[in-house]
Amino acid sequence: MVAAAMLAAALAFGQAAQVPDAAQFVGPPQGRPLAGEELKERTQYIGGLLRCPVCQGLSVSDSPAEMAVNMKKQVGELLARGYTEEQILQYFEHSYGQFVLLKPKFQGVNALVWLLPVIVLVLGAAVVFMKMRKLAQPSVAAAPAPPAPAEDPYVARVREMVGGGK
Amino acid sequence: MNATLGRTIILASLLVSTAGAIIAFAAGRTRSREGLKWAQRFAYAFAFLMIAATAVMEYALLTHDFSVGYVAQVGSRTVPVWVTIVSLWSSLEGSILFWGLILGIYIGIATWFTRNDYHEYMPDAIGVWLASAAFFSFLIAGPANPFLSVANPPLDGPGPNPLLQNHYLMAIHPPFLYLGYVGMTIPFGMACAALIKGRLGHGFLKPLRESLMLPWIFLTISIMLGGWWAYEVLGWGGYWAWDPVENASLLPWLTGTAALHSMVVLERRGILKGWTITLIQATFLLVILGTFMTRSGVFNSVHSFTQSSIGPTILGFLAAALVFTIALLATRIDLLESEGRLEGGVTREGMFLFNNLLFVLLTFTVLIGTVFPLVVEAINGKQMSVGRPYFDRMVVPVGAALLFLIGIGPALPWGRATRAQIRRALLPPIGGAILVSGIGFALGVRNPWTLLTLAFGGYAAQVTLTEMWLPLVQRLKRGDSFGEALVDANLGRGRRRFASYVVHAAAIVVIVAIAVSSTMRSDVELQMTRGQATTVAGYTVTLLGVEERAEPHRMSTVAKFTVAKNGAQRAVLEPRMNQYMAMREPIGSPDVYTTAGGDLYLSLMNVDIARQSVGVHVINTPMVVWIWISVIMMGIGGLAALIPHRRTAVTNYTPVVEPATPRYVKPEEVTAS
Amino acid sequence: MNRTVLAVGALIALAVIGILFLGLGKNPNQIESPLLGRVAPSFALREVGTGKTIGLEQFRGKPVVLNFWATWCGPCYEEHPVLVANARNLGSSVQFVGVVFQDTEEKIQRFLNDRGSSYPTVIDEAGKTAIAYGIGGVPETFFLDSTGKIVGKHDGPLTTDDLRANLAKAMGQ
Repeated sequence: MVAAAMLAAALAFGQAAQVPDAAQFVGPPQGRPLAGEELKERTQYIGGLLRCPVCQGLSVSDSPAEMAVNMKKQVGELLARGYTEEQILQYFEHSYGQFVLLKPKFQGVNALVWLLPVIVLVLGAAVVFMKMRKLAQPSVAAAPAPPAPAEDPYVARVREMVGGGK
Repeated sequence: MNATLGRTIILASLLVSTAGAIIAFAAGRTRSREGLKWAQRFAYAFAFLMIAATAVMEYALLTHDFSVGYVAQVGSRTVPVWVTIVSLWSSLEGSILFWGLILGIYIGIATWFTRNDYHEYMPDAIGVWLASAAFFSFLIAGPANPFLSVANPPLDGPGPNPLLQNHYLMAIHPPFLYLGYVGMTIPFGMACAALIKGRLGHGFLKPLRESLMLPWIFLTISIMLGGWWAYEVLGWGGYWAWDPVENASLLPWLTGTAALHSMVVLERRGILKGWTITLIQATFLLVILGTFMTRSGVFNSVHSFTQSSIGPTILGFLAAALVFTIALLATRIDLLESEGRLEGGVTREGMFLFNNLLFVLLTFTVLIGTVFPLVVEAINGKQMSVGRPYFDRMVVPVGAALLFLIGIGPALPWGRATRAQIRRALLPPIGGAILVSGIGFALGVRNPWTLLTLAFGGYAAQVTLTEMWLPLVQRLKRGDSFGEALVDANLGRGRRRFASYVVHAAAIVVIVAIAVSSTMRSDVELQMTRGQATTVAGYTVTLLGVEERAEPHRMSTVAKFTVAKNGAQRAVLEPRMNQYMAMREPIGSPDVYTTAGGDLYLSLMNVDIARQSVGVHVINTPMVVWIWISVIMMGIGGLAALIPHRRTAVTNYTPVVEPATPRYVKPEEVTAS
Repeated sequence: MNRTVLAVGALIALAVIGILFLGLGKNPNQIESPLLGRVAPSFALREVGTGKTIGLEQFRGKPVVLNFWATWCGPCYEEHPVLVANARNLGSSVQFVGVVFQDTEEKIQRFLNDRGSSYPTVIDEAGKTAIAYGIGGVPETFFLDSTGKIVGKHDGPLTTDDLRANLAKAMGQ
């Protein structure tokens, strides 16, 4: 056992240093290699989608921290090798989890963060239109609105639940 | 000695505010004038005690009395005097005491201004203020006590958080933020009083509006100061990162702004009473939520105080305030009678409703984006982030829609309007839209969102400028002298209206400047040695050298650059790295050359003094300075609307003149109909 | 009583308070690693001192303690003696490897000379190994079982107890 480890170590001696590579996790590049101004712009953009893990909420593009600088460099290298935005994000997600993605995926529970504001917009717009129509009707709003005593209690309750009795 | 004195004062203020709140609510129930008088006295007493407690703390700080816990924690003999003075709000305990001070001052002033009026509402309002005061007294007395005695006082202390010492903006940003945050207690108390009484009379709208307007001004400016600070200190060349604490300051501003708008409709039409009250209450609740976010350590942020034990206490207060508010709203909102009604659809009232919808939508989006990671973690235990790309995507369209409303809203007449009227109002400003977006295109703007913003901005600017000066022009046409007309239309009677358009104009510039500065920036990262020059965005930047400077409280490595354009030197910039005793990593401090057109921003990335070489990030951002200037203009506009005009000071309320729309309905007529 | 207001209000209140309450006491800087249960990213890095290249694969067959650290990190000073002592005690049954990033060889050598060492330390020069392991701060320690799968992770300085608990997982107990 010990001998085997020593043998392996001896074999490894002289071998070039090698760091974990994106190919290990997301396969070969699926896009075209970028260079020049385009590379710089895409690096900045994708860096903006990644969270700097040692900072507090800043993106990799925005942070001056060394960790962020390293991550941004790696984004640049991957782009230069032809990796796509999707692959690069997937690579970082593989090691950091969804925590590293500043733009949440539209997936599972996370989709709610995109959907809820839209739902609120639709509901809100409906309420505004209803309010405008109701207020535009002459008699209802202007009357001092004491509930008519003769009204069916059931109807009164429905009214109360629907519109707040106004 | 100072510690004991401070603790005694705080205990007294806890007693005074609790007793005062009970007396005030009792006076509200019994409608006793004598009770109200006593409530007012207790309010003044609380203000006095808070001023006294702060005075003791400042005295202890300035005399370096390290037997006081807070002084031992943040004091230092080596820091400049101004740093010692502002140390009051540099750390958790002191900042809560500072909160108490501002709350005391607000309560004192608000009580004084309302001492002879609004007897129906004031007891309950004072009761709510003092209840809030009691909570903060409790915080100062217990969980966040700055007056703890230190058994063996050290000879010197570590000094306050280096970030505070690093830039003067950090000395003035917190006071503005607190003036904004804490001040929201006053309209909240008044809104609660209206609900408790089940009535919101027209006369009470003035103090409600004014007490909301004043903290709104401070909050507006403090949000800008926070962004400015981030820009000047953090070194990435941006001013807004959608950080949880930044969002926390924005949330109450959004609902507060919505409330200021719905209040205009309420004053004119007598509708939206319950809604306006709800917005004011939401504003205060969001302030408390924001305080929790900053102080609980639950959120990951550059601005938050880490490691604090008062999170659960503030959460308890938030829960109590929420329950109280919801109970009040649910039981009393139906008692607030609408007195008027809307006329027509696409009129100005409708625009106000859409304005409110958009502000509420923004509030919701920012809130959900900020707390969503907590929600997900609570549901499935997985961590996720919601950051700038999300907020940019979600907020930009709503911001553009709001800019659109700033344009068409004021152009439309109040009440019912004919199609022809609407057409006449809405078509001409298209000229402004074409003009401004055309200028932008000529200057190189190609981003469709930016061009759209410019078009909306141009449209809104034309409407705003027209409306701003219309009363003046009409009076001139009527034959008034220029001086008379100016005083009457813009400085005197019509000032509130004029001021609101000043705020709108400034808001237009802010939105346009944000759009342009965030989409048109260019940057380059360079490695330079002494004597080397480079050209960035038309400027020649030359590195003169790198040197070390020692100050008592820090060591700085300073790189000296000259900035020249067309051969003429424009500025000497000195971005630096400051190393403070208490911090391992140096804090970068960028330097900026500001012009009306844009900023040239230099931020050091690495320094090698021996080789006289630096890595520098050069960022060229157009229009940034207009954000700061315009937000200050918004504040000035707000203040102008607040200062009482001589004639209005006598009578309780003078309706705003609206010469553009002859169909103005006086509030009395509305009530009568 | 306005039931709509009550219902909507109660919903908001419950949601807000509930979520914030659950969030209390959690450290937002602590990230749950998605690498748990996966095969550790392979690397071959230069050993500090000898200049030899050490590859992770060569330790297959026994549990590995992979400790990311740096000389500029305060808590790393605290946990260093714990690691050194445990590596000595456990002998060859467990392989300890230190990975240093964002640092210079000179400083690391001085640190090791001053404070001793009992296992190889490699240097991750461009920080890429750290990125592949999702490092958010130092120290962070990964525990690999004999097949090279990551079975445990510890953020912050290790104590002997933390180490034992995680090693138990790595040894399949």
